[in-house]
Amino acid sequence: MDCPVCKGPMVIVERSGIEVDYSPDCKGVWFDSGELELLLESMELDETGFTTDELMALDEARTNEKKRRCPICRTKMKKLIIGKTPEVLIDACHKGHGLWFDGGELGQVIRQLLDTEPASGGKQNRVISFLGEVFKASD
Amino acid sequence: MAMGGILVLIGYLIGVAFFSNAYAGLILALVIWFIMNLVAYFAGDSILLGISKAKKITHDDHPRLFNVVEEMKIASGLEYMPSVYIIDTPAMNAFATGRNPKNASVAITAGLLQKLNRDELQGVIAHEMAHIKNRDVLLMSLCSVLLGTIVILAWYASRIMIYGAILGGGRSRRSGGGGGQGQIIIFIVAIALMIIAPILAYLIYFAISRKREYLADASAAQYTRYPEGLASALEKLSQSTHKLETANNATASMFIINPLKRSERAAADLSSTHPPISERIRILRSMAGGASFYDYNTAYSAVHSGKSVMGAASLTGAAPVSIRGASAAAVAAEPEPTRIERARETSNVLWKYSKHKLVNCQCGTKLRVPPNYRHSNIKCPHCGRINTIPHS
Amino acid sequence: MAWYFYLIIVLAVVLVLFLLFTYNGLIRVRNQMKNAWAQIDVQLKRRHDLIPNLVETAKGYMTHERETFESITKARNLAQKAVGTGVGAQSKAEGELSSVLSKLLMVVENYPDLKANTNFLALQEELSSTENKIGFSRQFYNDSVMGYNNKIQMFPSNVIAGMFGFKTGEFFEIEVAAERAVPKVSF
Repeated sequence: MDCPVCKGPMVIVERSGIEVDYSPDCKGVWFDSGELELLLESMELDETGFTTDELMALDEARTNEKKRRCPICRTKMKKLIIGKTPEVLIDACHKGHGLWFDGGELGQVIRQLLDTEPASGGKQNRVISFLGEVFKASD
Repeated sequence: MAMGGILVLIGYLIGVAFFSNAYAGLILALVIWFIMNLVAYFAGDSILLGISKAKKITHDDHPRLFNVVEEMKIASGLEYMPSVYIIDTPAMNAFATGRNPKNASVAITAGLLQKLNRDELQGVIAHEMAHIKNRDVLLMSLCSVLLGTIVILAWYASRIMIYGAILGGGRSRRSGGGGGQGQIIIFIVAIALMIIAPILAYLIYFAISRKREYLADASAAQYTRYPEGLASALEKLSQSTHKLETANNATASMFIINPLKRSERAAADLSSTHPPISERIRILRSMAGGASFYDYNTAYSAVHSGKSVMGAASLTGAAPVSIRGASAAAVAAEPEPTRIERARETSNVLWKYSKHKLVNCQCGTKLRVPPNYRHSNIKCPHCGRINTIPHS
Repeated sequence: MAWYFYLIIVLAVVLVLFLLFTYNGLIRVRNQMKNAWAQIDVQLKRRHDLIPNLVETAKGYMTHERETFESITKARNLAQKAVGTGVGAQSKAEGELSSVLSKLLMVVENYPDLKANTNFLALQEELSSTENKIGFSRQFYNDSVMGYNNKIQMFPSNVIAGMFGFKTGEFFEIEVAAERAVPKVSF
């Protein structure tokens, strides 16, 4: 799989049995929907908050950032904001293939997470803090 | 099958253009159709597995899957071990292919393999093994040849009759009289034939296909002695939201569930290669008495208000066959791997075959580097250690 | 020639054909039964080969199960000796082995370190699959025996079977206590 931002090869990072695709050049992260499902199940959470329908019902985030294409189906993804303190701007595939986190955004999240209590707040925050934990030394 | 129609058109045009004769075109179309089916018959498995991005696996790649296939091979009494494939897609499905038991293969998608426990996997593999044992691949390709031929012939016959009617009509107008009515009847018959014959052929094809599915379900129950395994696997399959993208009409009948249709519609019953999943589950779950064909037939009758799926010949002389307990209660109870473990087992096979290199970082993070990664080392994103990538 | 001459010829031909088909049919089911039996043998041998490895791996972790290990090794050796002594004797020895093995595998739960050993897990998968294979090959063998015995005992094939001395096949039954009743685990 190639990175949707820098087109470089993606490396697969496995932690706690969950696989996440990671672009070593631009630090971006692709979270496949199947793996997201596994993570939520292992946290004993249901999938609400992350189903394709729910994500697509969210308002398109206003941003000047370039549209990204889903690395699986190559269609343009939707810009969304998930989580509360930290808020993260992500790209979500319309067909529900997965979520994309830009390198810079994840870096911000990690810095914010260092100040706040990890795994507090909603389901989306727990997923974000899982990624923050996996990519602790990503910058 | 739509290809059959296009083929006829091409054959017809070629026939008219080069031989100025529609019959030559007919023969040409039939010959091409026949050759295509021969190719599909002899190389169909490799074509199918090729377009499905299937990876052939060995025992060590995925011991559980391989063992389950071996178990079902023994239970079905097949003489040859089929090849085992994993298809790299999150969609959930499985199929069997091969023109005879000696050259057979079973394939399962990574998505399905991850979701099923051992009993469910056994049910699915038993269903596929039954397709091999019952020679359904051969039967369905024969049916498809017949269906194609009927479509081609109906198209031609109607065309000829219409031309005949038009030409005849022209003549009868000159001579005057009541001949015109006869021409109209021929015209109507021709159009009716053109429309009805292919539809009828399709319906028969689908009916046979559905019957073979029921038979394979019955055989699976008999092989595993545990209808609940297949029933619960079908339940998981019916909840799947992913669509198998590489499936097409010609290959649909060999899958465990119809890969082309996502939702179940009872109205579409007649034009489907597979019976509705909910009904298949209901039949399997009502097999309270035992796991033989007789019990399946009884359960089928209960669900279908008295109808029967199997001929009397396959039901006589059957000894009572009892249903076993779930495998957790069996002699050598094996701890069932968790879903994450199953997912990793499956993806590990796929990474291996796509030539990803494994880097085990000291912090416990596993990195899998694709073959087109150019650098000789990689920084672990979790702990920041620089790891060297091993040479092949 | 008289009409009854033709009748006799026709009857003779029918009789010969009947004999031929029935005899071949009997041979076919008997071969299927023998193949099925060979299949069981392969799986039983595989189990005999796996057990020493399993015992060796588990021994280091399961320090309190010395007696169980001894009884498994003993049962395994007896079962190996019983190979080729006939269906009945072999069924009995394999049944013993199955029941002592199930005792061991039931207490594996109490040893978390052992459950984390990948080598042991692989062996356990092989052993439990072999158990399944023994079960399925037994199932297929018994189905074959049933079909064969039906042919031998039912008219008209029983006449031919009697003439050529076909003997009924013997069912393979592994008697395992755990299979019949849900085991009681006491703490």
